[in-house]
Amino acid sequence: MSNPTAGEIQRWSEELARDPASPAFLPLAKAYRRQGHWEAALRLCLRGLERHPSNVEAHALLARLYLESGELEKACDEWGIMLRLEGDNFEAHRGMGFFYLEHGDFEAARAHLDRSAAQRPDDPAVREALALLRERQSLAGGTRTGSAAALAPPPASGATPAPAAPGAVDPARVFEPLLAEAPFRGALIVDGRGLVLAGTLAVGGSDPGAPLGASAEAMGAILGGAIEEAQRTAENLALGAWRGMLMETQQATVHLAPLHEDMIVLLAARRDTPAGWVLRTAARAAALADGFLGGKT
Amino acid sequence: MSDVLSVALSRLSRVDGVRGALIVDAQAGVPVVSELADGVAEPAVAALAASLFRRTAKAAGAAAFGGLETLQLEAEAGHVVMAGAGELVVVVVAEADAQLGLIRLEAQRAAGSLA
Repeated sequence: MSNPTAGEIQRWSEELARDPASPAFLPLAKAYRRQGHWEAALRLCLRGLERHPSNVEAHALLARLYLESGELEKACDEWGIMLRLEGDNFEAHRGMGFFYLEHGDFEAARAHLDRSAAQRPDDPAVREALALLRERQSLAGGTRTGSAAALAPPPASGATPAPAAPGAVDPARVFEPLLAEAPFRGALIVDGRGLVLAGTLAVGGSDPGAPLGASAEAMGAILGGAIEEAQRTAENLALGAWRGMLMETQQATVHLAPLHEDMIVLLAARRDTPAGWVLRTAARAAALADGFLGGKT
Repeated sequence: MSDVLSVALSRLSRVDGVRGALIVDAQAGVPVVSELADGVAEPAVAALAASLFRRTAKAAGAAAFGGLETLQLEAEAGHVVMAGAGELVVVVVAEADAQLGLIRLEAQRAAGSLA
């Protein structure tokens, strides 16, 4: 991309001022980044993604901005979202490869870098990373298997949760007993890496029992990272362990509660639902999630 | 503006069960004004609360649930209630047995006066 002219930047700014939902936020944020206005680029990108949550290119830009500011974990969140939206995204696999390499998880790094190399074998950064990986593996005397589960290819856009094993509860039907409740908009089980393990979620005006879409997957991916922040906030205030979070948005009330290990259960209800109903139903959702996960809570 | 912030914070701090309150710049994660008990790491709380608010707001946007208005964190020994006010977030720390309904109302009112 050539450097945008001042006229182009002004045109995008005006377009965005006229229509905050305009996709012009993306070229404008890119232009700001190139000019070194990192904060402005970040702000534009975050606001743009609120209206265009499935825009892979915007998530890629956000990942680059985080990476350039040294916030590798946040960059990793964005790559994770990109892979859920677009399972073969080169940039996301390359980023995840670097992330795992930095964290010494060579097996996960190998999987992501190999998928990048399969698409662009001549990419110098991928080749360099693979050489570095070989070097570090030989020094370590083999591969580590620290988070082999992280290697599982992410689901493609719009994917439903994994099919159930014979005799087991179908992950998409775990919260089916709650569907009869009028305020219910859906419930999800999300792990610490932001992967949706089970449940359904009505996005916009969709049916609460409909298969998951990319937006619900993206929500899970973003909230997966909230667990640690919730715990750290509670600890810094000497409030002990966190027990739940209640979010009230313009169109929904959402409750999150910790399950065992690093998992959470999310319950979404209509915005006008009394908090008491939400809390009681959240407890039912947690019990259903616990049953699905094998009663480990 | 600082008078408005101080008045909003002072009113919140007088509610039964409130241990402290602060107003935070949502993007920068820094406190703008605060009334927190001694010993509380104010910068850390401001940064974490703002980060948590931003993340959940982003998640709400991703699910097309609209803008985040309030966020309530429940913990063993208390609650944190946050209300969005444009570029600012009102953060209230409350006791476990506090009147949460009233605190949420006051936090929303404070946010409304700042937005």
